[in-house]
Amino acid sequence: MSDDYLWDKSGEPDPDVQRLEQILGTLRYQEKPLELPEQIAPARSINPVFLLAIAATLLIALVAAGLWLMVRKNQVPRNQLAIAPTSHSTPKPEKEEIAPNKPKTAEPGAANNQETQRRPHFAKAKIPARPALSPTEQKEAVAAKQQLLLALRLASEKLNEVQRRTLAPTTPMKNQHKVG
Amino acid sequence: MKSLFHHNSLKLLIATSFLTMAVQIGQAQTPRLQLNSLDHLAAKASETVDVSIDERLIQTAIKIFKDEDPDEREIKKLVSGLKGIYVKSFEFEKEGEYTTADLQAVRVQLQDPAWSRIVNVSSKKEGNIEVYLRMLNDQIIGLAVLSAELKELTIVNLIGPVDLEKLTKLEGRMGVPELGIEPTRPKTKNEQ
Repeated sequence: MSDDYLWDKSGEPDPDVQRLEQILGTLRYQEKPLELPEQIAPARSINPVFLLAIAATLLIALVAAGLWLMVRKNQVPRNQLAIAPTSHSTPKPEKEEIAPNKPKTAEPGAANNQETQRRPHFAKAKIPARPALSPTEQKEAVAAKQQLLLALRLASEKLNEVQRRTLAPTTPMKNQHKVG
Repeated sequence: MKSLFHHNSLKLLIATSFLTMAVQIGQAQTPRLQLNSLDHLAAKASETVDVSIDERLIQTAIKIFKDEDPDEREIKKLVSGLKGIYVKSFEFEKEGEYTTADLQAVRVQLQDPAWSRIVNVSSKKEGNIEVYLRMLNDQIIGLAVLSAELKELTIVNLIGPVDLEKLTKLEGRMGVPELGIEPTRPKTKNEQ
């Protein structure tokens, strides 16, 4: 028995081969269009222009945020501007401000310097808000503060003097002997 | 017609009298001392301090006190309730530039029963210091310090609730420099 039928279907047919042909024939390739279920349907292709637009928007947003932060860092809070004068003067030691020999006049200018000296660093973001004062009010407040401090100093000095004098030991008695 | 004029004049006179009385009573009831009678001493004084701060100015000054600074916060707390701060201080080149008569107008006001003298320190060398308090329901509503030294006359008048302890401790803090006046303490055995 030749094997020709197995190879090219010529010659005498082999019943075993025919039977296998019948069984496997059902699984033969049948040409038809591919039908995929909806769940695994391929995504629609994204337009590159759309992607570019998104990237551009993100970039603009980042640049804007950066600029805003820079401006915010360098910007003086309005209430601080109203309080701290813009002039930069040499810091003056506080002891010098009112000399130990009782200076008798208030110096509003000195207060200005003190204010400048004490201006808070801008990096300190959380500064409690204070009502802004107009330049006139600011001047008036500085002068009033100086007067106030001067008055308090005098009051405190006098009270201390009273305390000193009342607590001072009286003249020791002569011929006093120790008891015990 | 004449009687009508007289009648109106009489009414006006009575009204003026009542008004004057009301003003005087009002002034007597406030713890503010009238210190104008001392103004003439400014001409003789080598240095003069005249501080007159009413409640509005105190509140204005408070606005620029910084809460971040503990000293300023303390002073702010001390003065925030005050209604007025009035100081007159004269420093003279030589002794005897003022007399007790100059002080009489102030003393008369302090003789009001509402005022009570809590301290009176007299010294021939250093002069006199008197401290007066005005109380209302166990609360201080006025303080007056009358310091009559040989070459210096100072009158301090604070109106409103005053914390004496805090005020005394204020010297030497912030813009209130220490003047080296310390209470003298008795020497210990080792120091002797």
